Amino acid sequence: MKKLSLTLIALVFALSLTNKAKAQCDSIANFCAKHIISTFISDGQTYRALLLNSEETAEFHTTFFGETIYRIAACSGSSDGNLVFSIYDQDHNLLFSNRNYKNAPYWDFKVKNTLECTIEAQIDVTRNQGSGCAVILIGFKQK
Amino acid sequence: MNFKKSMFKSKLLTLSLASLVIAASCGGDKPKEDETNNENVVDVDTAKTAVLNVGGQLFSIPSPIQTAMLIQKSGLAYNKEILNLSKNSDSYANDFSKALNLGIYGADLGYVSMYNQTQDAMSYLVAVKKLADKLGVSAAFDATTMKRIETNISNKDSMLVLVGVAYRASNAYLKTNQRTEISSLILTGGWIESMHFSLTAYKTKPSDEIKYRIAEQKQALESIIKLIASHNMPDATTLSAQLTDLLKIYEGIQFKYTFVAPVTDSVKKMTYINSTNEVNITPEQLEQIRTKVQEIRNNIINATA
Repeated sequence: MKKLSLTLIALVFALSLTNKAKAQCDSIANFCAKHIISTFISDGQTYRALLLNSEETAEFHTTFFGETIYRIAACSGSSDGNLVFSIYDQDHNLLFSNRNYKNAPYWDFKVKNTLECTIEAQIDVTRNQGSGCAVILIGFKQK
Repeated sequence: MNFKKSMFKSKLLTLSLASLVIAASCGGDKPKEDETNNENVVDVDTAKTAVLNVGGQLFSIPSPIQTAMLIQKSGLAYNKEILNLSKNSDSYANDFSKALNLGIYGADLGYVSMYNQTQDAMSYLVAVKKLADKLGVSAAFDATTMKRIETNISNKDSMLVLVGVAYRASNAYLKTNQRTEISSLILTGGWIESMHFSLTAYKTKPSDEIKYRIAEQKQALESIIKLIASHNMPDATTLSAQLTDLLKIYEGIQFKYTFVAPVTDSVKKMTYINSTNEVNITPEQLEQIRTKVQEIRNNIINATA
C-alpha cells in the first residue's frame, strides 16, 4: 500500500513538472516571437529543448536556401541574452556566434548559395540560473 | 532541421528515473534542497518527452510559403489547377489523411495568398479550418490569428506573415499537447505540396533556380523520413516506403561545397554568408523525382475512402 502511494506521488510529481516545463517553453516561445518582426515570415515551426546546464548543447541541423535573408531568434528564460548560439557550415567552419555580439537575441543572415548548416545553442554560463528551456525561431524573406 | 540534444540523453533518463524513485521513497517530508535538485533533473526528462518529440529530436521542414515565393518570383502565372480541390476537405476519412491534407491545404493557402487570389484564399482557409475541426485540433489554430487572416485576406504581405504565424502557433500547440504525430503529418503534407509546386513549375517553365531548389531538398527529406518513423504510425507504411524510394534518387545528386569566409555587419546585425555550392542534377533524376512526388501526392489527396 505504501509502495503504491509512493508511486502515485512520484507520478503526480512528474506530471506537474511536465506541465511546468511545457508552460515554461510556451511562455519563452511567445516572448521570443517578438523578434520575428512582420517583415519576416515564420517558417511555421518552434524549436525547443530543455537544457540541464550550461555544459549541455542543443544541436539543430538546417538548410539555408540561397537568395534568402533569414532571421534567427534564440531565447531562454524571461529576458534576452541568456542563450548563446553558433552557426557552422557542413565542414564545421564557424559562420557566426552571437557570443561575439553580447549574446544578441536575434541575428539576420543573407545567404548567397544554399548550404546545410548546424546551429548549436547553449545557456550562457555567466547568466545561467540552472536548467532552462531553449527556444529557436526562424523567419525568412526573399532578397 | 533536426533539433537534437547532443549530450547526456541516456544518462539523464536514468538520473531522472532514479530521482523519481528517490522522490517517492522520501515521502512528503523531503528537504527543500532535495526537492530543488530533483526538480532540475526530472524537468529535463519529462520535458524531453513532452516537448522534444520521440527520441529527443525535433525536425524542421522548409516552409511551403518560401517555395511559393520562389515560383512567383520566377514569373509563372497563377495556376489553380495545380492545387488540391478545396472541396475535397469533406472527403478525408481518417486522421492520417486529414492531417496530411491539412498540410497540403496550408501550402495551397500560401500559394493562393502569394498570388493575391482572395476568393480562393477564402476557400482554402475554410478547408484548413474544417480539417482542423475534424481532427479535433482547431484550438491549435489560434482564434485571434485566424480572425486576423480573415480580415487581411486581400493583403498579400499580411496574409503570408499571418499564415506563417498560424502554422507556428499550431506547431507549438500540437507539441505541447503531445499530438506530435499530427504535427509531423501536417509538415509532411506541406513539404510534398511545395515539391509538387516546384516540379510543376519546372516542367512549365524550366529555370536553374527552381531546379536547384528541387535538388536542395535532401536534408528536408531525411528529416521527414525520421519524423514519420519516430511515431510508428501503422497508416504510414506506404508513405514511409515511398519517401525512402525518393531519398534513393536524391542520394545520386552531386554537390560541391566551397567555404568562403562570411562577413558580419554588427551595426545592421547581419552576417553575409558567401560560401558557394554547385549542384549537379540530371534531367533523368528530375523526372524520377517528379514521378515519385506525384505518386506520393496522389495517394494523399485521393485518400478519400
